[in-house]
Amino acid sequence: MNKKPRIKDNNLLLDALIWVIMIFVLVACVVPFLYIIAMSFSSSRAILNNRVSLWPVEFSTEAYRQVFAYPNFFNAYGNTLFYTFFGTLIALCMMLVFAYPLSKTRLKGQGIVMKLVVFSMFFGGGLVPNYLLISSLRMTGTVFAILLPFAINQFNLIILINFIRSIPEELEEAARIDGMNYFGILVRIIVPLSTAALATVGLYTAVFFWNDWFYSLIYLRSTQYPVMLLLRNIVNGTTMVGEAGGVGEKAFIAIAIKSAVIITSTLPIILLYPFLQKYFVKGMLIGAVKG
Amino acid sequence: MDAGGTQKGAPMKNDPLIHRRRLKAGRYFANNWQLYVMMLVPLVYFLLFKYVPMFGNILAFRRFRPLTGPFGVRWEGLRYFNQFLSQPDFWRAFRNTLTLAAMNLVINFPIPIMFAILLNELRSLKFKKLVQTVSYMPRFVSTVVVISILTEMLSPSSGMLNRLIQQLTGQPGVFYMNEAAYFRPLYILTDMWQYTGWSAIIYLAAITGINGDLFEAGRIDGASRVQLIWYVTLPTILPTIMVMFILRVGHLLSLGFEKVLLMYTPSNSVVSDIIDTYVYRMSIAATAPQYSYATAIGLFSGVIGLILVSSSNLLSRKLTGESIY
Repeated sequence: MNKKPRIKDNNLLLDALIWVIMIFVLVACVVPFLYIIAMSFSSSRAILNNRVSLWPVEFSTEAYRQVFAYPNFFNAYGNTLFYTFFGTLIALCMMLVFAYPLSKTRLKGQGIVMKLVVFSMFFGGGLVPNYLLISSLRMTGTVFAILLPFAINQFNLIILINFIRSIPEELEEAARIDGMNYFGILVRIIVPLSTAALATVGLYTAVFFWNDWFYSLIYLRSTQYPVMLLLRNIVNGTTMVGEAGGVGEKAFIAIAIKSAVIITSTLPIILLYPFLQKYFVKGMLIGAVKG
Repeated sequence: MDAGGTQKGAPMKNDPLIHRRRLKAGRYFANNWQLYVMMLVPLVYFLLFKYVPMFGNILAFRRFRPLTGPFGVRWEGLRYFNQFLSQPDFWRAFRNTLTLAAMNLVINFPIPIMFAILLNELRSLKFKKLVQTVSYMPRFVSTVVVISILTEMLSPSSGMLNRLIQQLTGQPGVFYMNEAAYFRPLYILTDMWQYTGWSAIIYLAAITGINGDLFEAGRIDGASRVQLIWYVTLPTILPTIMVMFILRVGHLLSLGFEKVLLMYTPSNSVVSDIIDTYVYRMSIAATAPQYSYATAIGLFSGVIGLILVSSSNLLSRKLTGESIY
């Protein structure tokens, strides 16, 4: 577009106001993290004396050392990695194999299945029917209670279906004429061309598994708990780490320890997010075509 | 017609029409059977984990007995419904749900729209990109982490806010997370923090899609930027706003259950006990679980949710021609 020179409507006041608001938004998003980082790297004495605000005081890695010395922490972190990796893998396979046939509107029965999918977005079994299903499948206390039930997410499925529909039909027709069957087309044509959508859906799923604590609480045993549930238990006082149970000055290490767990459990998301941001946003927009 | 009727009822063996139809069906099957095979596993899987629990709602009308499956053993009619409808605790949870949901909708629905419009007015593309990147991030942070940070920042002894207030006024610290009066504001504030940037994406995309000629024409007519927002941007993204509103109203009752559960303490339960936490407390978290009773409440709120979606959808189609299905 060749923009004509603007007619004089440079409302400076408006611009200044918008800048102030946006800077406020930035600060509001970042400050909570800065505060927690500062707390996690400060000495317990500095925390006790209320000297920490947004920058570490009397820099100390004591809290991290205590967290890393706590065996349950690594166990929980390993559990989280396990659920995130395999949960996402299973979900991607399931949804891909479901989305490809459903992307074909000419397929008989496709319409009915799509209606079932959309209806289940608005109405479903509540907490109790789901819980009773999992327990009567004998899945409580096993990792399958976390890995399996959430594999097909309707919103993610629709993202995939919409994306596959946008792949030109001619490619498939050419492959069909060459004698390739639908399984071959799915693996050799659809998958390589849908990497962007798969990345998006994979990321949403991975974030879901990484952040889950509630389903782990109701379905799993304590040795199977993921790191988010460990954090929740530390914060509400169910679990004590290191010297956090002590009194007086030692009690203040608890604040640093909580902060250190918050930071270590969120770090992967904070670090990876800026690089993967475009995939996250893409999914929101593909999914919105339907919504 | 009579002749046609008899033909349909008793087809002849070598009827060419039937033969051709069978041939066609055979060819359709030969061409597509692989797609059906492919769909088989995920479809069964989908039905098992989405539709079996849906039919599991039948437990609301049946008595539960342990180890006999999720569907109950004996019909009880509306017994469990009568039970909860006469229970003051249920009505408290019901009122709390509606109040919190309505307040959250009124405050947190318009804010992303305003945010998107203002973001679009930024002339520095670099700064715009930065604000977008940073403001989307909280969406991906676990609710556990959000509430943990909040708890630390608001801690009565060491929290940032209390220290600031103490320094300024000398008043003793307030245990915000435990005070009923602060539960709703904190819920709404954390929702704002987590979702404002993310929810703005849709509106931002809609604004970007507006034909530039509209703004140009407005400018030539001498409209100011504020007038352009009011008379061009807002009306053009109204359909998007409408669709998002339907979605929000449809999911009105499904508040952030996990967040409420994390914020729930006995002393703020007067306002923080919502339908979902009540169901949870009565069933899975209870020492003597009342599964049928809890299912009845879950079904009740699920049906209300369904009515909300379909009626707001219908209303929107009548008013604006926009609907989600």
